[in-house]
Amino acid sequence: MLDVGRHPKIELMAYSEVESVEGSAGCFTARVRKKARYVDASKCTGCGACAEMCPTDVVDLYNEGHSLRKAVYSWFAQGIPSTHAIDTRYCRVFQGKKCGICQKKCEAGAIDFEQKDELVDVAVGAVIAANGYTVFDPGKIPEYRYNELANVITSMEFERFLSASGPTHGHIHRPSDILVKKEIGQLEKQEKRAVKGLARFEEKHGKPSADFYNEYKTGEAAEDEALEQWAKKYEEYLPIKERLEKLRTTAESFRTAKKLAFIQCVGSRDLRFYPFCSGFCCMHSIKEAIIAHEHDNDTTSVIFGMDIRAVGKGFDEYRVRGGNNSNIHYRRSRVAEIVKGDNDNPVLVYEDTREQVVKREEFDLVVLATACQPADGMQELADILGIDINRYGFFKTLPENPLDTTREGVFVCGCAHSPMDIPESVAQASSAAARAVQTVTHANLLKVS
Amino acid sequence: MKLLHHRRVIVNKDMLVIGGGIAGIQSSLDLAEMGFKVYLVERLPSIGGKMAQLDKTFPTNDCAI
Repeated sequence: MLDVGRHPKIELMAYSEVESVEGSAGCFTARVRKKARYVDASKCTGCGACAEMCPTDVVDLYNEGHSLRKAVYSWFAQGIPSTHAIDTRYCRVFQGKKCGICQKKCEAGAIDFEQKDELVDVAVGAVIAANGYTVFDPGKIPEYRYNELANVITSMEFERFLSASGPTHGHIHRPSDILVKKEIGQLEKQEKRAVKGLARFEEKHGKPSADFYNEYKTGEAAEDEALEQWAKKYEEYLPIKERLEKLRTTAESFRTAKKLAFIQCVGSRDLRFYPFCSGFCCMHSIKEAIIAHEHDNDTTSVIFGMDIRAVGKGFDEYRVRGGNNSNIHYRRSRVAEIVKGDNDNPVLVYEDTREQVVKREEFDLVVLATACQPADGMQELADILGIDINRYGFFKTLPENPLDTTREGVFVCGCAHSPMDIPESVAQASSAAARAVQTVTHANLLKVS
Repeated sequence: MKLLHHRRVIVNKDMLVIGGGIAGIQSSLDLAEMGFKVYLVERLPSIGGKMAQLDKTFPTNDCAI
């Protein structure tokens, strides 16, 4: 990534979108909309002082919605370019409110609320579409209850949990526990406010609120408007305290997730959604189970799949190593249902196809290996590029030239072509680059007559 | 029958790569190393794509970033 940022031959246009591609192979004109960042790229040093002081919290999609970022943000810490951007959907200034704290805090003076989108025309000889994929939304599968059970997550979410820069700094806390802790934090704030309000009365009357409230209930206290207010305040405080105590006792028993289940083929190899195999999920799940075991040696994982497709150099050895050294059990089965068990633990109902019995098993956390589906906006991009998409929604390619699309001079690589893992993407990317070069080289031109 | 003549057209040797994930990055670097000017267009504020979200990659457990 760093190499791209500093290569003299690469002009990086981040936060931009291609709007149209006119012309033919060898002489395309592409119109690129450079979206306004509202941060001057030539001045921004990427120090992050603006994000530190920004008052607006926004759900961070880089961490798959498990943490918060600010309205002025960089996509992730090591991002290239490091120039920040303002999210106009949330920024207070763009919502017509008074703010502008970032502008005051920025020492480089890079914040510019007046910035406009910029349209740039670039003349190019060939186009490579490498717009990637989107993770399948498992909410579409009702029996896995992804939207109802907090402890059922996707493999990408789990990846963020494993990452040291992720929402839990690499500790695998269960999402349901995180929600409880969040509620405790909110209640503590409310409690603080309530106690402050009560303290005023206590000081004035010289006795604790609990004593007063007993007197008030038994009718010993004098009827007074101020005292009634005190009682009312105390009545508001009681349920907060009760709930807080209850949650705190629950939170004491919280521990990191140690028993993990991985469910393969969620959305892929499923005739309801995508009939194809997504290719990388089996290895992805094994890798996540191995890393989870590295983080905590007590972790055990069960991978539920129809079969484990470890196709590639060193992949099958990796699978065997995971089974031998990392407490991974491979179970041949397709999980029928996930139901809610005690203590927010998901319970898997499945048939063990070797023993031919239906079993129920409880886990701390369930990770769904979601399918690789065509990127959002694939049809729009195909229309812009003037190319076709195939029946699954990926770009259509020619059988004899697998990286050529239906328009000459436009090539495709990576997951925009079909689901594939990183080494394959890299190989295909180099191949697409070679094809693009062929388009603009001299030999090919002589064919034009 | 008339003989077709070869005609030279002005060809632009610059390249456009759409998407700054691992595939787009690799294509751009390859093209740039071969001496072509590359315009790399990415929708999000930073490049990296899905791979930047990964903690480690299989089968070597190397860091993804």
